[in-house]
Amino acid sequence: MQCIRLEYDVDGENFSSAGNASESVKRTLKQMGVAPGSVRRVAIAMYEGEINMVIHAHGGKAVVEIYPERVDIYLKDSGPGIENIELAMKAGYSTATESIRSLGFGAGMGLPNMKKYSDEMRIDSTVGVGTTVFLRVNFE
Amino acid sequence: MTVSEFAEKSGFAVFCRGEDRAVESGYCGDFLSNIISRAPDSCCWLTVMNNVNVAAVATLIDCACIVLCEGTEPDEAFYKKAQELKLWVLGANENVFEACKKVVKLCNV
Repeated sequence: MQCIRLEYDVDGENFSSAGNASESVKRTLKQMGVAPGSVRRVAIAMYEGEINMVIHAHGGKAVVEIYPERVDIYLKDSGPGIENIELAMKAGYSTATESIRSLGFGAGMGLPNMKKYSDEMRIDSTVGVGTTVFLRVNFE
Repeated sequence: MTVSEFAEKSGFAVFCRGEDRAVESGYCGDFLSNIISRAPDSCCWLTVMNNVNVAAVATLIDCACIVLCEGTEPDEAFYKKAQELKLWVLGANENVFEACKKVVKLCNV
């Protein structure tokens, strides 16, 4: 099936560009006439993933595939990996530092929000190697 | 009430102007992930958080305007991003609670 494929490098050192990739996806979906509710779900799930890559993994790569009925998002980083995925998925659990918290992040809601706003979510992570998160959002 | 009317009647400072639209609800908070998951569309978002990520989140939640409370002013990066994204950024000297009362009274939300 034909799809539109978008690729982004997420800059790990730059908090001011964090969100650029999800903003670009949001704009693209809007232009394509996707329902606002679906656009919002994709943008939120992806933004949280993008922020996680900036906070925890020195950036990474985001690949977005847009199909007529859904969006698939692959977020791949070469960061430290997640030791305990079950714990990381718990609302309120965060390993973010004080300086990250002072920017308004680190509430421990990133992964739970990604789960909440996607229809499918998979995390493959190896400590010391990196993490790949897959998110699928079906359109309304 | 539209954001431009609200800005004028509230006496709040206007740091940045966006597309004029109606304020339909409100939300208060500083933790960005909470705001992302809970703030309603077209809301007036009241916060004391001052950094560039506030602009990114405001776009994501599609809020009508941001009100920076307690005399907070946007830093340069925030201001630039808000202009680029065409966001309304207002400033209140009041604390979040007092500013919120103005939103309720003027916008009837």
